[in-house]
Amino acid sequence: MSRALKRWPSWVVLVLVVGGLLAVGATRDSAPRTPQERVEDISRRLACPICDGESVFESRNADSQAIRIEIARQVDTGSVSDDQIINFIEQRFGSKVLLVPRATGIDALVWALPVAALVCAIVGLGFAFHRWKTTADTVPDDDDRRLVAAALAEDTDL
Amino acid sequence: MSRQAVSDPVEAPRRRRTAPFVSLAIALVVAVLFIVLANGKASKPDVTSSFLLNRPAPAAISTTLDGKPFDLSRRKGSWVVLNFFQSTCLPCKAEHPELVAFAAQQASIADGAELYTVIKDDPDSAVAKWFAEHGGSWPIVKDDDGAIATAFGVAQVPETWIIDPSGVVVSRIATTITADFLSTKLDQFRRVYG
Repeated sequence: MSRALKRWPSWVVLVLVVGGLLAVGATRDSAPRTPQERVEDISRRLACPICDGESVFESRNADSQAIRIEIARQVDTGSVSDDQIINFIEQRFGSKVLLVPRATGIDALVWALPVAALVCAIVGLGFAFHRWKTTADTVPDDDDRRLVAAALAEDTDL
Repeated sequence: MSRQAVSDPVEAPRRRRTAPFVSLAIALVVAVLFIVLANGKASKPDVTSSFLLNRPAPAAISTTLDGKPFDLSRRKGSWVVLNFFQSTCLPCKAEHPELVAFAAQQASIADGAELYTVIKDDPDSAVAKWFAEHGGSWPIVKDDDGAIATAFGVAQVPETWIIDPSGVVVSRIATTITADFLSTKLDQFRRVYG
């Protein structure tokens, strides 16, 4: 069995495990079960419109409190999704209240750049490994053979 | 050692060819990012735009300070001006005499606009005291849970909104106004919307 054939099952297992975990992570039902959990989850994704670095969930000011009440009111209707509620608040207060950037427009760079960097890093590592392998496979010349022979002769003398 | 002699002639030129291309690619990406970000919209707040413009005004149901019911949807047929106010806000205080003048201007014409103050996160007693001391006899709408402010997306005061007789939002002014500015704007809207 060739070396390449011996190596591939480990790579396949690795790809399957990573792919499986990503699939589970992407498709698992992460929706909060109770209305209160939904309100908290949504308010964690929105920034307080008048303060710095605080989410609507954390902030105690009147605007955040009013937004939490509005979120709770819409959750209680039972007919709107989390994204629709977030969209409602964003339309009124602007995109500055979004703590999780959208995957469209220039905001998409936030998601795309790390992936691009990861791909570049993997490709770079691939090139580096390939170069090291090529260097390691260099054919020994006469000088190398003489060195090895001398070393072996020393061992024999001992 | 001679291994060096074997590998160098092959490896050295490859490094020299790759590095400039990688550097150029990184420089291009940085340049594109710079151009995109430099041409992006400034983060300066826009004091006139709103998702609600040219859309039906959101529901606003409450009571006034003197205990009367207030329902914005029942004001259809009149031009309505909503002014979000807080008695501790200096620009709101500076704007108040202009609102008094504006109310007088509108009272003197046949289809004058209805002016309402909406309390933004302020005790009723403080607002009542301010109006008693500085004038203003138009209705003051309570907004205890901030529902009206949230429905309009008002985070900072003063903000003034104009709603046409069909209940559609036609203007948002998220800064201080003057009586003449507001009256002129309303005249323009009356000519456009009839």
